[in-house]
Amino acid sequence: MGYATSRHIEGLPAPLQRVAGALVDWIPLAIVVVLWDLISGAVVATAILPAPGTVAGKIVELFVTGQVFSHLYISLFRVVVGLGLSIIAGILLGIGMARSDPVENFFDVFLAMTYPIPKTALVPLAILWLGVGTSTAILIVFLACLLPIVLNSYNAAGNVDQNLIWSAEMMGTEGRDVLLKVIFPATIPEILTGIRQAVPIAFVALVSAELIASNQGMGYLILTSGQIGNYPRMFANIVVISAVAFVAVRLFEEVRERWLVWT
Amino acid sequence: MDGRVSISELEKVYGEGAERTKAIEDLTFEVDGGEFASVVGPSGCGKSTLLYLIAGFLDVTSGTISVDGNPIQGPGTDRGVVFQNYALFPWRTVFENVTYGLEEDGVPKEERQSIAQQYIDMVDLSGFEDKYPKELSGGMKQRVALARTLAYEPKILLMDEPFGALDQPLRESLQDQLLDIWGDLEKTVVFITHDVEEAVYLSERVMIMTRHPGTKKTVSEINLDRSGSREEIVTSDAFADYKNTVWKSLHEETQTEVTL
Amino acid sequence: MDVTADANPRFDLSSALSLVKSIYSLVIVLVLWEAVAQLGLIHYYFLPPLSDIIMRFVELTLNGQMLYNAYLTLMRAMVGLAIASVFGVLVGVLSAQNDLVDWFFDPIIKIGYPVPIISLIPVFMLWFGIGDISKIIMVAVGTFWPVAINARDSTRQVETKLLWSAKMMGTSDRRLLWRVVMPAAMPGILTGFQIAMPLSLIITFVFEMVAGGGGLGALEIAGVRSFESTQVYAAIIAIMLIGIALDRLLRMARGRLLHWT
Repeated sequence: MGYATSRHIEGLPAPLQRVAGALVDWIPLAIVVVLWDLISGAVVATAILPAPGTVAGKIVELFVTGQVFSHLYISLFRVVVGLGLSIIAGILLGIGMARSDPVENFFDVFLAMTYPIPKTALVPLAILWLGVGTSTAILIVFLACLLPIVLNSYNAAGNVDQNLIWSAEMMGTEGRDVLLKVIFPATIPEILTGIRQAVPIAFVALVSAELIASNQGMGYLILTSGQIGNYPRMFANIVVISAVAFVAVRLFEEVRERWLVWT
Repeated sequence: MDGRVSISELEKVYGEGAERTKAIEDLTFEVDGGEFASVVGPSGCGKSTLLYLIAGFLDVTSGTISVDGNPIQGPGTDRGVVFQNYALFPWRTVFENVTYGLEEDGVPKEERQSIAQQYIDMVDLSGFEDKYPKELSGGMKQRVALARTLAYEPKILLMDEPFGALDQPLRESLQDQLLDIWGDLEKTVVFITHDVEEAVYLSERVMIMTRHPGTKKTVSEINLDRSGSREEIVTSDAFADYKNTVWKSLHEETQTEVTL
Repeated sequence: MDVTADANPRFDLSSALSLVKSIYSLVIVLVLWEAVAQLGLIHYYFLPPLSDIIMRFVELTLNGQMLYNAYLTLMRAMVGLAIASVFGVLVGVLSAQNDLVDWFFDPIIKIGYPVPIISLIPVFMLWFGIGDISKIIMVAVGTFWPVAINARDSTRQVETKLLWSAKMMGTSDRRLLWRVVMPAAMPGILTGFQIAMPLSLIITFVFEMVAGGGGLGALEIAGVRSFESTQVYAAIIAIMLIGIALDRLLRMARGRLLHWT
């Protein structure tokens, strides 16, 4: 809460202050919604910009009738599988490259070459290989999320404090166990940072793949709603997928904070 | 001489409501024009706050601070601060850092360059004019900061533990350099430190501050014969006596804190 | 730009060795690719031989198609990004400097940033059509957020003592922004551009794939539709080259502008 807004509510008792503070903080959003409502139908036709009430009603309808669930489910499935695979592969690749020269020499050039390619440009290629549907979406999510996870775990595993490794070896940890018992745990905070960066990317990749190459999922639903002229449903679905992405990020941050109590 | 700092019944309070803390209370102190005065005190006694109040970076809660009889209003070019962490502009070279104040004053370019060169030479940094701060060691950065502050010729130098982050030999050589400069340029210096030896070695007067809230405890006059070398001075009985006096006064303060 | 390397007599040999080490895997994969494709072990449609793809790339480049489509994509992405940069830096810096602006934009940024911006493509098609203007506005809206947030945060984090130093040397509050705040915040602002740049390409490609109208994304999709997989691969090579070039360019610009960091 900004200083300017806090000044005016100081007279209130503490619990009320917090509520009032939260309200004041969110007034700008209310202004936007009110503006939206005023513009819709007056300046811009409701067909082009449905009123917020209409969209809200549509969201409720989507959930009550259950229309949204099959698409939402398939979208979530794609994100979870794609992201999950990229986490596994990313950690293995990142730590492997950091701790082994042959592995680094082998994969480095591929990372350097694919790093500057926006992964959504690979959707058509994925269509060539896997056709239109779930596998293509999963592949794109996987590719898009891989890099931040690899880079973060690579950097962290390369920078593990040598004293940690020595003290573990001194206490009898050997060979492969050093990787599992020292390097991997020491790398966890950065791995989680990588995943945190990957979560929003996963949703961008998902929606891209679904807009271009899918017959199901939220992206598909948004696109087809627009194509058949059902604009309230298009806006409603955008709100739904945005909310899901928002919740996913917050949820992950919550989990990370709980888990990383020791940092 | 110009550059007299008068602090009268100064009070500084941070925060409001439950978080309200008094940093400085009822502090009255005067530094003569051209005097070298140090302020020592335990950490958290508000000595840096005092310096930033004199500089005009912070507003006083009550009381007054005047320079040559005129109450200060915000920062001004009559006072120059040397910060512990240098606060150099990292995007400017050594030379450009030193010319900054002159640029703001509208000094013409050629004059600017000769003045800046003069002060860079004074702090022994010739040859480093085109380096960026990141390329310099801590001691060199602090010399740039000193040159930068001297260049726009403030009457009063306010120094906030300027040598606190440096190692002992470097500290000593910078202390001597500072004394030479002070002798040549006749500036008023208010020097904050937690190092008793440093305070006694440099200053004509040392103010010891108490903490929670910070206020003036005692003031010691230091009348050292400074004509000899550093070794002669610091090994003299007079130096030891002054150091003891200041140290005892300061130590009482820390002692009370611990028993509290 | 390693100056010391020139002085090393073994420079050539060791650098040649390290070059072999770093690209041998790529060579193996490319050779395998060519072999597998030539032998017909994988269907031509999925994986045409590398040589065919390169031929196609050359052909598309020589007949001007590649350059024209690359121009369309780059123009849309860069104009959009330029617009976002102006507004993003403006809003970001103002938010950091002014409580009222911050109060207004903070919740909007909080809500707007996590929106998978790609999902708004159908909305922009509805509002502004499928032409260049629509794509440019979409890129501008999408890249606005990282630029604004980085500008805001880096402006906020400018060290108080730098501001104080300037004030004591006579810089007025009005000039403080240009003399100290902007230069000090520049690294963070450039980071915002570096995040926004690939995003501008992502948005452009997807928009082109969904709505057509030329550009490398449309070129790829046309390849899929006409079962000409060499065209898809050739377009991806072009995208890769553009990506590498832009990445280099931004790093160079950063090195030039921020040689003091």
